[in-house]
Amino acid sequence: MPELPELDPVVHGRLRLALLSLLSGVDQAEFTWLRARTESTDGNLGAQLLKLEQAGYVTVEKKFVSRKPQSLYRITEAGRHALAEYVRSLKQLLSLGPPVEL
Amino acid sequence: MSDHLSEQELRERLNLIESMIAEGRRHTQNWGWAFILWGVAYYVAMGWSAWSSSSWWAWPVTMVAAAGITIAIASSKAGDHPRTTLGRGVGSIWIASGVSMFVLFLALSMSGRLTDPRLFAAIASAMLGTANGASAILLRWRLQMGCAIVWWAAAVAVCFVTGTQSIVVFLLAIFLCQIVFGIYGAIAGAGKNKPRIPAHA
Repeated sequence: MPELPELDPVVHGRLRLALLSLLSGVDQAEFTWLRARTESTDGNLGAQLLKLEQAGYVTVEKKFVSRKPQSLYRITEAGRHALAEYVRSLKQLLSLGPPVEL
Repeated sequence: MSDHLSEQELRERLNLIESMIAEGRRHTQNWGWAFILWGVAYYVAMGWSAWSSSSWWAWPVTMVAAAGITIAIASSKAGDHPRTTLGRGVGSIWIASGVSMFVLFLALSMSGRLTDPRLFAAIASAMLGTANGASAILLRWRLQMGCAIVWWAAAVAVCFVTGTQSIVVFLLAIFLCQIVFGIYGAIAGAGKNKPRIPAHA
């Protein structure tokens, strides 16, 4: 019986997973753009981004442009690796047949 | 963690990842306004140089002003869009082409060698064709490739007509590939970059 792969709980959250996936396709993205793409609220988005930041999966650069605050997020190498691992684990779980309720 | 996940949930997670990665990659800024701005700038410069006594300043002043307005508007919009490799690639083509044209025409003008309007129209059309063509290939955008073809056709055509006719051909190409294409791009782009998949936690 093959051992079931573990899914990274930091990556697994639906919004965090969406954020990591979005950031993996761009060089960097602003908070407002991420909010629009995920249709999330400021509070929820901020909290999930903080979790990703604390896990070392994203970095944030805060600056002012035309006197307006701007938070630019980037995925880190660790974040990219975690996302790739997560996808690998998902595919492995799916290929183990119709496990459905594991 | 994986103990209580249904196959449907797992597949849904995979779909979310794929769609979000694609969402980020395909997102490009809407530059329709820039095409319109530069089309109008060409018209202003041509009108100024044709009907004013200080015609030498027409092109350098108009082009520098248009570049300044472009930078100002682009900076104010920068926060609304992510920075992507594709966006940087397309931007680099236009910046490099713009700088090349500015430096070349300034030098030709200062040295007194820009006496034939056909020479100006041919070089400008060919370079705008190059920028549009390269952009179209990167973005896989057939309509922009159509613009590139119009510019290349204009570059060839102006070599075989009179000076006045070459100006008419150039004005027509500007109208089609800057003004009309820019308006289309601005309208089409406005509805394109809307979120498709809500991703709440």
